[in-house]
Amino acid sequence: MSEVSVRALTIEYQTSAGWLPAVADAWLDLRPGEITGLVGESGSGKSTLALALLNAVPAPGRIAAGTVELAGVGDVTRLTGKQLRKVRGGALGYVFQASQNSLNPLKTIGRQLLDLGRSHEVADLRALIARAKDLADRMGLDGDRVLDSYQHQLSGGMRQRVGIVFALVLNAKVLILDEPTTALDMLSQASVLDIVRKVHDENQLSTLIITHDIGAVSEIADRLAVMYGGRIVEDGPLLDVLRRPSHPYTKALIGATARITGDVDAARALPGRPPDLTTVARVGCVFRDRCGFAVETCATVEPVLAASEDGRRRACHVEPSTVLSGASGTPAAVGEPA
Amino acid sequence: MIQARGITRTYQTHGAFTGAHAVPALRGVDFTLPDGGAVSFIGESGCGKTTLGKILTGLETFDGGELVVDGVELSGLSARARARYFRRIQMIHQDPYSALNPTRTVEATLGDPLRMRAKEIGGDPGKWRERAAELLTLVGLEPAAVLPKYPHQLSGGQRQRVVIARALTVDPEVLIADEAVSMIDVSMRLGILSLLRDLRTRLGISLVFITHDVATARYVGDGGELHVIYRGEVVERGLTDDVILTPVHPYTQCLLSAVPIMRGLEEPGPDRMAPIRALDERTATPGCLFEPRCPFATQECALTHPTLVPLGGDGAGVGSAAVDVGDLGDGAHVHACLHPAARRVVGVEIGAASA
Repeated sequence: MSEVSVRALTIEYQTSAGWLPAVADAWLDLRPGEITGLVGESGSGKSTLALALLNAVPAPGRIAAGTVELAGVGDVTRLTGKQLRKVRGGALGYVFQASQNSLNPLKTIGRQLLDLGRSHEVADLRALIARAKDLADRMGLDGDRVLDSYQHQLSGGMRQRVGIVFALVLNAKVLILDEPTTALDMLSQASVLDIVRKVHDENQLSTLIITHDIGAVSEIADRLAVMYGGRIVEDGPLLDVLRRPSHPYTKALIGATARITGDVDAARALPGRPPDLTTVARVGCVFRDRCGFAVETCATVEPVLAASEDGRRRACHVEPSTVLSGASGTPAAVGEPA
Repeated sequence: MIQARGITRTYQTHGAFTGAHAVPALRGVDFTLPDGGAVSFIGESGCGKTTLGKILTGLETFDGGELVVDGVELSGLSARARARYFRRIQMIHQDPYSALNPTRTVEATLGDPLRMRAKEIGGDPGKWRERAAELLTLVGLEPAAVLPKYPHQLSGGQRQRVVIARALTVDPEVLIADEAVSMIDVSMRLGILSLLRDLRTRLGISLVFITHDVATARYVGDGGELHVIYRGEVVERGLTDDVILTPVHPYTQCLLSAVPIMRGLEEPGPDRMAPIRALDERTATPGCLFEPRCPFATQECALTHPTLVPLGGDGAGVGSAAVDVGDLGDGAHVHACLHPAARRVVGVEIGAASA
């Protein structure tokens, strides 16, 4: 049973060229006790998808179709007003991108926590503070000191942890982290990832991590979903996907990651540049311009995300075995390198 | 050729009530950058690596040690004479989003320094357009498509390429890349790194690569030296591959342990470790600077400040303080630890990943 079920979700943005889809027909499940990594380049629609889980897509965007079923609550996309505010931060904990910069610089962390409690009509604010301290302690922070601090007195890694405390203090069962490690150095990144895994396991959360860094997420995730041009192009159990990527984009992403092992000369940057709303292909496969495996069908027919054996899904016309073993040719039409 | 000897920089700060106190950002850094060579500096936030980059480009002063460029000691020169040397050292900033003026097109961004450079070397200033196109081609961009664009119309990777092209307009001999890829999508990083490597081989430009991500330091080119900086002090130094594959200083080992493992493709090293506590600058460290956070610290570490010594030598390398590590030549593996030990902290690639 999924905690969150995203069904046929399409999100559009209004542009001078009309309504364009930032996320097209996305299906995704977050299950209890499972960390899902959602990976994609800038502009792939991954943050937009995550905001839709809160029904918080900013204007000029709108959820054009589909549902987000939250266990025990119902369809989040239908909620409004007070009900919606209760779900945000209540059932769904969200740690924002650059959460280091999302704290109020004029209030201590403790005061902001009380604001959170009041806006959610928490009766026992003392218990809330106690729970926040407990969470902070378990993340290796000094709870008392942190609650008395202003955000500028905390380091980047500490602020990120405060973001996680805020997301979980109201007993959220779903934790969404948007680029949790992007602005951190390696040591802080490792400790934040470690902490996410720990609080996830302790509270049996359903966790979604959104990132462009496939390396960072592969350290802790259980499932991997890869997004490109607003589509989920592949997903499945993490180990399986990393060992046997079946979509050319996944394979290219893995090959383009700077790693500490492996042959330096074998690594290849992705050719071309990621599409944005206006340049993404309207017909056919969205990845075909940068794909080394593209065939004729790719230009005309958009591949559907089809489930295969062993709980994996992929959206590609080319046989998985060809993608896995094949040395990719030169992409059909690579634009300027980026 | 750049030689730095014992560069120190101390910032004097004072709070409203706490009184003045000194914050040492660099505590005597030595390195040699040969022509066409590469030197990388790694360390966590606040270790002084950015201060070093600024000193090398003349954007920051230093208060001890000497900086020698092509045999000339810079601090003895007048500001005007110094500027000539610093012109040959150009910086690539971390954030390509704020390094470019949003109100100027790429054409304008490249045009001014190119015309200035042409006057300087007695070239034809009218030819700057050809030169701009040449530079953009060199960094892997299509000149006709990019020249009329504003920065916001380019992707992060393209912007960083424009920043590199701009640095190349004045024909530099050295590029300082301060976290040049950390703001860029992972998928685009290798492209920028291989461009930097390419500039080394094709134009003979030497490179100072400053980063917190050890993995990226591997991609900037062969024969480079890697310096691990901790709180303004180099704690381990050697050829990049030597330091990454056989680190002996616990801090280096912590940094390498922090590199995420691509599970399924790599296995974590058996001795993977983390610092036992977060950095607290207020703790007094008369001995080893890393002692409060080190999992292997002993009584001795709290009292004795270790200096750089060559690896091996007399067993553990302790007690050979008489050796001047500066004389050891390039690429010698040196460390500043009283109890160096090899530990397997780096992930191991799983052989034959295809099943």
